[in-house]
Amino acid sequence: MAEYLFELLTEEIPAWMHTSFTTPVEAALQTLVKELGSGVVKVDTTPRRLILFLRDLPLREQDRELEVKGPPKKTAYGADGNPTPALQGFLKKQGATADDVIESADEYVRIRRKITGREISEILREKIPALIESVRWPKMMRVGSGEYSYIRPVHSVVSVFEETHLPVSIFGIASGTTTVGHRTLAPRRFEVKSYLDYKQQLELAHVVIDSHLRETVMVQRALVLSKEVGGAPTEDASIVAQWKFLTEYPGIVRAEFRRDYLVLPEEVLITVMRVHQKQLPIRDRDGRLTNSFLAVLDNAGDPDGHAAYGNSFVTNARFADAQFFYETDRRRKLEERLEQLTHLQFQEKLGNYLEKTKRIERIAAAICKAAGIDTADVAAAARLCKTDLVTEMVKEFTDLQGRVGGIYAREEGLPDNVWQAIYDHYQPVSIDDALPRNAAGAVVSLADRVDTLAGFFSIGAKPTGSKDPFGLRRAAQGIVQILLNRDRREVKIGVDTLIDIGLEAYGRPPADNARLRTDILAFLEERVRTILEASAWQFAYDEVAAAMEAGWASSLTDLVDRVQAVKGMRDESNFLSILDSAKRIANITAGHDSTVVDASRLEHDTERRLAKLADVVTGQIGEMIKERHYRGALESFAAMAPELETFFKDVMVNVDDEKVRANRMSLLRKVGGAVLKIADVTKIVVDRRDYRP
Amino acid sequence: MSRVTFQSLILKLQNFWAERGCIIETPLDLEVGAGTMHPATFLRVLGPEPWNVGYVQPSRRPADGRYGDNPFRLGKHYQFQVILKPSPLEVQELYLDSLRALGLDLTRHDIRFEEDNWESPTLGAWGVGWQILLDGMEITQFTYFQQAGGIDLAPISAEITYGLERLTMFLAKQSSVFDIDWTPGVPYGAVRKQEEYEFSKYYFEEASVDLHWKLFDSYEGEARRCLEAKLVLPAYDWTLKCSHAFNTLDARGAVSVTERVGVIKRVRDLAVRCAEGYLEARKELGFPLLKGQGQRAEGRGER
Repeated sequence: MAEYLFELLTEEIPAWMHTSFTTPVEAALQTLVKELGSGVVKVDTTPRRLILFLRDLPLREQDRELEVKGPPKKTAYGADGNPTPALQGFLKKQGATADDVIESADEYVRIRRKITGREISEILREKIPALIESVRWPKMMRVGSGEYSYIRPVHSVVSVFEETHLPVSIFGIASGTTTVGHRTLAPRRFEVKSYLDYKQQLELAHVVIDSHLRETVMVQRALVLSKEVGGAPTEDASIVAQWKFLTEYPGIVRAEFRRDYLVLPEEVLITVMRVHQKQLPIRDRDGRLTNSFLAVLDNAGDPDGHAAYGNSFVTNARFADAQFFYETDRRRKLEERLEQLTHLQFQEKLGNYLEKTKRIERIAAAICKAAGIDTADVAAAARLCKTDLVTEMVKEFTDLQGRVGGIYAREEGLPDNVWQAIYDHYQPVSIDDALPRNAAGAVVSLADRVDTLAGFFSIGAKPTGSKDPFGLRRAAQGIVQILLNRDRREVKIGVDTLIDIGLEAYGRPPADNARLRTDILAFLEERVRTILEASAWQFAYDEVAAAMEAGWASSLTDLVDRVQAVKGMRDESNFLSILDSAKRIANITAGHDSTVVDASRLEHDTERRLAKLADVVTGQIGEMIKERHYRGALESFAAMAPELETFFKDVMVNVDDEKVRANRMSLLRKVGGAVLKIADVTKIVVDRRDYRP
Repeated sequence: MSRVTFQSLILKLQNFWAERGCIIETPLDLEVGAGTMHPATFLRVLGPEPWNVGYVQPSRRPADGRYGDNPFRLGKHYQFQVILKPSPLEVQELYLDSLRALGLDLTRHDIRFEEDNWESPTLGAWGVGWQILLDGMEITQFTYFQQAGGIDLAPISAEITYGLERLTMFLAKQSSVFDIDWTPGVPYGAVRKQEEYEFSKYYFEEASVDLHWKLFDSYEGEARRCLEAKLVLPAYDWTLKCSHAFNTLDARGAVSVTERVGVIKRVRDLAVRCAEGYLEARKELGFPLLKGQGQRAEGRGER
């Protein structure tokens, strides 16, 4: 079993980009070792290093047999039974002989050849450079005179196979067997013999190559330093995740900012620290912010207190600015800022933010009316929700939009419902993000988003491919997330109604809106599918598809109930009966729509029994559907299966008498149509083996 | 180590980069927002000629003025700007050596290179790089220039910009910029505080909006006239004056969001034409700095 070590030494790679290297490279190497038959892959990074380690590799690729399809048999051999030029050409191209031709069942000539496995080292030399060079970093630079583009210039390459140099070249830079230690603590170059040697020597040279280990060390250190001042670090997974990529030698330092700044809103303090400095505030036992915080160190310690001093210095400087903005902003009420919104453009063709605000107000009022929600708080929040965009604080800390407005509204003494709605109305920003904490916030968020969607679609700016410069996918996703919710913040409105309200806000004649409505619905339909299939819902695509076929746009919560019923049924033993019945009915009655059965034309006993049963059962099903008891409705439908079975055995549907035929089809339609309001179950894909007793 | 002063820092950086083969240029005698706008950077990074330079540049940012009240913010600050073209592979090491030359024992400090890309819409320029954090504090911007005046650069230049006041404050452990020593016995505040107050007052309250719009139009017209006459360096001067007139109007709150995009585009169009014109002119001259000891021949009699 062989091992291979590769290191690319570069310059500091942005912390947030490491996974755009590790994820695809690890996947590609996993595929490679699978093809090779054995091997363990480890991909790791430090700010300056991309490291690949492969072990338990076979020394040689396995020999294998390869089957290739050749020309049709009838053109392959002449009348004399000898190979024609067509076959000869094929064999030549494949490097095969007539002896390689095998018996084949179809009309083509096939050959099977033994391919001798190559040396692993040869494969690595071919694959590794291509893999490394082809990484698509989110933002690349041209190096030198444009010799290559990569995340940063490449300095050196280590390539060691079985303790021997395996020469490769990356962007024309020849590999070797030496690397360097920490940039300032141990910058010398040294020879490495193997992975273990590499790892150990680097550790002595103040580089920890295992990113998980770096994270663990930093988290531990953060806990200890926080405990020393009787507190705990603020939980913040995204900052901690970045820490490990900001340092080769993991360290944390604790520093303090001036206590006076604690009067600033907590959100402002946290944003300054985390976004601008990647620092983590320390909270006391009661969860209150203290004036101590934690910062990254690319060093084990801070022997002279320089780092504590520097971090305090810069944080105080930033807070001094924040305080200036805070005090300036509070001299004017949010209400007085509305006029300023005319100077802030939303979009060239869609007007300024005051115009957007007016639309949000109208849309929010219409949503309230349609969903039966009290309008007072919503109206107040909708009116002020964008005013913080012209505050100094948001101009400086754009991430705080919404929240700053909420905080200022709170300080102005506006009701909880109102300031919270302003504060939360950009939520949810992602699939895992929390929804606005009250119904007013949910309504304002919906109104803002549907205004954006309706506006951009109406000027023909819908997203294409992976490009979505105006964040329309996120806007749509947020709408879906909010409408799926059914706690006390539920907004009972259909996507269809919401879109109509959004389009009306632009004051266009409804006739113009038909195409836009279809487009926006289709756009949202995609988001509904994605969210129900992914995230916490975990529905299968066919369950979602089946239920959506029966409608989705008038209520997403109802859609979820129906998907849930289908999902619940599909594991039951009688699900095959439902499926088979539905499929058979759909096949036989294709093109027939009527469900009106003429009792006088029923000839057969079986037929009459089914008709009677259908009358009772479809009635029951209809009642259950009305009460949204979808599971029960599906079960009742399943109960008709045996009778239906008998019907198909005893009764011929496709008889010559047209009227009898049509009547029978109507009967089947009536039975089959009973559950169509829940889902089109024929869309469910099953593996029949799962249902055998 | 003797007491760190503003002046000692400048002298040490000048010496350090002079010893490494840089021309020590003088500041541009026009109002600019950053050392990048000096022709020694913006124009010299274009084309194939090698160019290594270091200089101090007073940088005026009217909107950053705080009447001399804020201990960290200034309407005018000083940058030390270095351009290394082509960027040597060991450029980060050279930079760290410059910090060592300032007397820093880097094994006892925390130095990190954190992503910070640079983009100037008015110059049609962008690059990728880092802010360099010394003990958590940003002391330098480091950029690998990718484009200037809309032109793809080859070779790539490395730009190193030291924030001189910040660095002095930190090294001298002063908590207000006005308390650092320019030279022993002469505080920075004594030299500059009046200027900070008066220019803040001027840019925020007094600058004539009408006049500055007129100036902007006139400067733009003159820049265009120079471009027609193939006088790219004067054209570039007028472009920079446009840019400063715009910054003044901006600080005065006289540029609406809608206007903003259009005005920036007007400046960028000039900058792009200057860049193209400059490259053309250098080509006609046969790229003088490409020949042998290029840098020494520079400055005199090349035309």
